[in-house]
Amino acid sequence: MTQESQTTQAPPVTPEARIPGATAPGPAPAAPPVGIREAEVDGIRTVLAAGSGPVTAGLFFRVGVADETLATTGITHLVEHLALHRHGLSDLHYNGATSATYTLFHVTGTPAEVTTYLNGVCAALRDLPLERLETEREILRTESAGRSRGPNHQLPLWRYGAQGYGLGSYTEHGPWHLTADAVRDWARTRFTRDNAVLWITSDTVPEGLDLTLPSGPPHPLPAPVSILPVTPAYIRGDSGGVVVDGIVRRSSAATLFAEVLSRALFVDLRQKGGYSYVADADYSPRDNDFAAITAYADALPQKQDAVVGGLIDTLARLRAGSIEQSELDAARAKYLKQYDTPDLAAAQLPSYALNLLTGHRNLTPDEQRAELAAVTLDDLREVAREMHSSALLQVPGRGADWAGFTEAPQWSPEAPPAPGTRHPSLEGDSTVLTVSPDAVTLTTPSGQVVVRYDACAALLVHPDGGHHLTGLDGFQIRVEPTLYKGLTPARTAVIGASVPPAAVIHMPPRAPDRIPRPDGGGTPRRLRSEPVGPARKALIWLAGLATALWALIATVATSQELDAPEPDPATIVIIWLLIAAPLGAFLGLRRKRG
Amino acid sequence: MSPTVPPMHAEFDPCVNIPSLADLRAAVRDNDWARTEAYFDFLDDESDRAIASGLFHDLGSSERFLERAVAENPGSPLARTLLAVRYVYVGWDIRSSYRAEHVSRDQFQEFHAWLRRAEGLLIDVCAEYPTYALAWAARLNTARGLELGGSEVRRRYERLAEHHPHHIYAQTSLLQQLCPKWGGSWEEAFEFARGCLRSAPAGSPAGRLVAEAHLERWLDDSGDNHSTYLRSAEVRDEIMAAADASVKHPDYRPGFHWVGDHNDFAGALSLGGHHREAAPFFRTLGDRATESPWGYAGDKRVQFLKHRKTALSKG
Repeated sequence: MTQESQTTQAPPVTPEARIPGATAPGPAPAAPPVGIREAEVDGIRTVLAAGSGPVTAGLFFRVGVADETLATTGITHLVEHLALHRHGLSDLHYNGATSATYTLFHVTGTPAEVTTYLNGVCAALRDLPLERLETEREILRTESAGRSRGPNHQLPLWRYGAQGYGLGSYTEHGPWHLTADAVRDWARTRFTRDNAVLWITSDTVPEGLDLTLPSGPPHPLPAPVSILPVTPAYIRGDSGGVVVDGIVRRSSAATLFAEVLSRALFVDLRQKGGYSYVADADYSPRDNDFAAITAYADALPQKQDAVVGGLIDTLARLRAGSIEQSELDAARAKYLKQYDTPDLAAAQLPSYALNLLTGHRNLTPDEQRAELAAVTLDDLREVAREMHSSALLQVPGRGADWAGFTEAPQWSPEAPPAPGTRHPSLEGDSTVLTVSPDAVTLTTPSGQVVVRYDACAALLVHPDGGHHLTGLDGFQIRVEPTLYKGLTPARTAVIGASVPPAAVIHMPPRAPDRIPRPDGGGTPRRLRSEPVGPARKALIWLAGLATALWALIATVATSQELDAPEPDPATIVIIWLLIAAPLGAFLGLRRKRG
Repeated sequence: MSPTVPPMHAEFDPCVNIPSLADLRAAVRDNDWARTEAYFDFLDDESDRAIASGLFHDLGSSERFLERAVAENPGSPLARTLLAVRYVYVGWDIRSSYRAEHVSRDQFQEFHAWLRRAEGLLIDVCAEYPTYALAWAARLNTARGLELGGSEVRRRYERLAEHHPHHIYAQTSLLQQLCPKWGGSWEEAFEFARGCLRSAPAGSPAGRLVAEAHLERWLDDSGDNHSTYLRSAEVRDEIMAAADASVKHPDYRPGFHWVGDHNDFAGALSLGGHHREAAPFFRTLGDRATESPWGYAGDKRVQFLKHRKTALSKG
């Protein structure tokens, strides 16, 4: 199996979920589903397929968080917000979503309503209401501070660092400093007609569409860069659950494997032992070649050790090929059943459009079914092995070295600190900060962290002299003049002057009680209040951006906008599972607004 | 000519107490994998198989023989499991050659390294053969040594019990984990011991779990002075009732566990001063002794002989 079916990205769904107001599905049509027709609207590639009920349309752009830098994270999100601002409050079912690799504007309504919405989005993209910029930046900062995040939100950071596909782990830095020019430029170069695909669940293009957009080159998917030297790897996380992901070649077998895994986890962790309430797995294409398979199980503190062991054993069983034919058949039946919808072509439209956008091959429904039918138990075992060989596991409490996983690097590679000025810690813990012409090094008894200026993803400069560096590899150093001896403005200025200007973010003043002081005064330098041993320091620096202490830097738009007030835990997981799946984003948003 | 047996003898060698095990020991000493495998294949009771695997504790260097067996029989769950069992013993010997407070960091790392090697083999065996009791039983020990947590040990037991619900070796292993010394509680320990007995068929060895739970409780109370916990009539009666339902029941079948079963009852009653009640167990045992529970009370040989003498003089 080398080519996946369409269903892997966007399982067709029932008409009533897909299109509001549709009648209940009748018997499957005898004839094959009406095909998808390609067209062009104002230079934008467009795909059409008739559905029953109201019209749903979506406008995809090939730009997302993975295209940003840490310093500009949120810039796509800002454009999306600004583009939707003029729609204001309305009964119309519409929304926007920003994922790792694409942005989607979508709407459901009458043809006239669809036209109004899409025309409005494109008009705004042509001429962003930048007088709103300050307000929207504020909104994004607030929005992300209150956002619930999926249990897997730290994995990208550890796998990819503070770049590309890792940026989804981070709070948005852009809303602190992005200028109108920067936002306008991003819209002009990324939200172009050549970098977009439109889809409409109608056999005709609605009248009156004016989707004029600037032209510009299509943008290929960003190339992934892994920073994990050894896999399978593990990191330590908070209690509450276990999560693992692995990178596999996209295929129908991998799609079915994720379903088999999901069912196996449910049986092993929930039905058999009652160790977990939620135990699930998900398949999400990352780029045109690879997908992430993610498995998650929640756990009460007193059961979490069993959840770790159970998840490891379930994965090992599938890897060993101890899979029943009935497990494969059940997963396959679920997928094949989805082809029985009378609106099959319309249901597949979003994923068809997304493939068109990224240059991924589209298969016909018959080809997809044939691929699903051809998957064997051996194929599943091969996927399980591929997942394991690239796995990154996050476990609460003790590690997972006992199960053959290697701890992800907690420190920068060993190297003598570059010559520079040495600044001993004022907290008397034999930690030394070295400011060199090309890097900052933090040396502790357990290891050292190095952030090179030319590999600095973001530098936050506080007016009080605090300089917080994040390297492209995700390691962070907080240079605080109040915590190290001899860190004069002249020394910290070296840092500010050496980091590439595009990575420098000038922050507003910190409240006095948030400026750290030695040994406990002000904001704790370490990001948790409990005593933390040196071995965990680097981990916490790495993990730090996600913790509440950094709420002032706002939590990020991983990929979709969760504007519902405090969803219940089950919903959070559902939303998380849907996050990176193209149609998933679409459905998740529909669920909230509709 | 009659054999000359010392009048006061305590026999701790499992191959003497369970003569069949001598065949296994000979096969391993001969580096004969075919005979070793045939020996285990012949045993149809999973507890017997687990107890037989315990022989590898004292078979020094047998890991080399087993490593060869694994290399030559890569698909064999038995070879991999026995190798893992041997690794656990190698690791545990490194740890227990010193008292816990004197175990150095290096020794602990070495101990855990052996256990991780064992666990890696066992993860694969259990993945390939999810009902393979010998490997699941061994994983109770790796989980305890690697400190994987009480709920994980419990989960492993449940995976084993799913297919082998009355596995006395695994039950005694889990009971250890459920005691406070490994992070459990007396409520859990007694609930488990009594529950196993209740749900077991008449004449099962599970009654010894009740005796063991009381012994653990007594040991925990003892400190420097031996406590009076085991002296109470209530405890005595429960131990006697457990014996009636197991080793004294007509349906009782003496598998390899029988020596341990009787030593547990003899010990729990003797150490509580119930010498007359302990006497029948000693008569059945003769010289056959096990490390537990006598090692709890001091020198295992001295304790066994002293209590046997007292019991036989009273009952």
